[in-house]
Amino acid sequence: MSAPVVAADRLSKWYGQVIGLNDVSVEVGPGVTGLLGPNGAGKSTLLKLITGQLKPSKGAVRVLGEPVWGNPPLFFRVGFCPEQDAFYERMTGLEWVTALVGLNGLPEAEAAEAARRALDTVDLLDAADRKIGGYSKGMRQRVKLAQAIAHDPELLVLDEPLAGMDPIARRKVIRLIKERAARGASVLVSSHILHEIEAMTATILLMHNGRILAEGNVHTIRDLIDEHPHQVRVRADDPRGLARALVAHDDVLKLQFEDGAVVLETNRPDAFYARLTEAAATGALGGIHEVSSPDDNLQAVFDYLVK
Amino acid sequence: MPIHDQSYRRYGGRRNEPGSAWLVIAAAGIRTLLGRKLFLAVMLAAWGQFFVRAVMFYLSANFPSMNVLAPSAETFRQFFDFQEIFVLFVTVYVGSGLIANDRRSNALQIYLSKPLSRAEYVAGKLGVLAFFLLMVTLAPALALLVLEAMFSASLDFLLGNVFLLPAITLYAVMEVSLASFTMLALSSLSTSARYTAMLYAGALFFTAAVFGILRGATGSSMLAWLSLRANVEQIGDVIFRVPPRFESPWGLSLLVVAALIGLSVLVLERRVRGVEVVT
Repeated sequence: MSAPVVAADRLSKWYGQVIGLNDVSVEVGPGVTGLLGPNGAGKSTLLKLITGQLKPSKGAVRVLGEPVWGNPPLFFRVGFCPEQDAFYERMTGLEWVTALVGLNGLPEAEAAEAARRALDTVDLLDAADRKIGGYSKGMRQRVKLAQAIAHDPELLVLDEPLAGMDPIARRKVIRLIKERAARGASVLVSSHILHEIEAMTATILLMHNGRILAEGNVHTIRDLIDEHPHQVRVRADDPRGLARALVAHDDVLKLQFEDGAVVLETNRPDAFYARLTEAAATGALGGIHEVSSPDDNLQAVFDYLVK
Repeated sequence: MPIHDQSYRRYGGRRNEPGSAWLVIAAAGIRTLLGRKLFLAVMLAAWGQFFVRAVMFYLSANFPSMNVLAPSAETFRQFFDFQEIFVLFVTVYVGSGLIANDRRSNALQIYLSKPLSRAEYVAGKLGVLAFFLLMVTLAPALALLVLEAMFSASLDFLLGNVFLLPAITLYAVMEVSLASFTMLALSSLSTSARYTAMLYAGALFFTAAVFGILRGATGSSMLAWLSLRANVEQIGDVIFRVPPRFESPWGLSLLVVAALIGLSVLVLERRVRGVEVVT
């Protein structure tokens, strides 16, 4: 087996009386690895320990064979895309990415060039000179991704990178992640949505209550999750028209309307998302702005696994 | 025709050495501020005294009847006294948002996921504030020394007051260090630049007011160490070899200044983190 990209040894993190990560020992190999778990499972804590944002309360974590804490030079080789927005709204996308690339040690001219290439890679070059304050949620996610890949890291750590993106942007980002892995980079990506992870990789780490619950192939988990309907919330220009088109298929079990959005339940997420992406691409059903999935279905699987 | 690879390419150029990222932060901060017209106006106003004194030096050097305007060592002490107000303006304008704005926009977690230590981050921010503060204290004072030698076409004044060069440097560094560290520490405590600015100005005026009241009540300036400003002034008098203006021991003022800088470093150590852990 090749050397692990990330190796955690009895890793724990407490926030005062609350435990964020509980005695986790795990090795992550090269390629794309999905970190899956409901909100509060400890995914973000693990990613923050891996990227040196937090100091372990106990245990140790090594990334690319090096200790993480107090080792800034390691981050020349790591790219991190956080879950939360972290912007100066008055800066343009290009200025923001260039400034951050500069911190990776690239001289100014090269930093600007690398920032342009990264923005081009995430299809944001057209909006590079616009202020970040005017970016949509999906554009914000992509500009965060651009700063993470701009210095061409060996390990890319992505915390919920698809949150709030429209279907087309999701597909592009998923393709980008797979391409980077194909070119030899390793990617550790977190999500609470199995379908998203499944589109990127078959290798997953399943987390729950600060522990690794399962690791390995996604298909085993998939068999479990198919027993539970998958809920999807779609924000669109015409939620009713969208609902009419989607409910015609027998995999859509239930739907309800919210303000500017429709929430659907499906027992075949693959087919459902394929149709949704197609509809967004053709524009046949009007603008589709945001797709999100509550983690209720995944929670049901976790409940099943931890019984 | 050969077709070139258009996909993403690994950067093969030169990288700055680890440990130099603070320069990137400092340079970016300085550039941003130099792009603000209001700030440039403040900086220009801060150099007003320099221009007035330069004219005085010129007149005294070239017109014997204007000898009353000739500089002395005390002139430079007075120069720093007059600059105090600009030190306050620049500290508040430049420093209040330096860390607070990063905290408000969650930028710290991205910065600290780069090859940048927390110490380098603080050094970069400190560099921005210290640069502009030195530009309104050390730079004009040293320029005045040079002008005096040029206008009088002699080094007599410099050689007769050889302590002035180290005194100017030492005083400016002390004043700038205290202002920079305390302002950065306050900025790290908040996500609002405005609140930080009020806190800093409030601390200065409040401690001065407390000292003023106690001085009026006791008729003595033994409690000058209670005032942030008075401590700097007291040490300044000693550095410039003029009689101290307060009765309190200057060593105590030095101790207070050192303690404030130490406390600020502690606050920065605790507050500058990629992820804020609330327990």
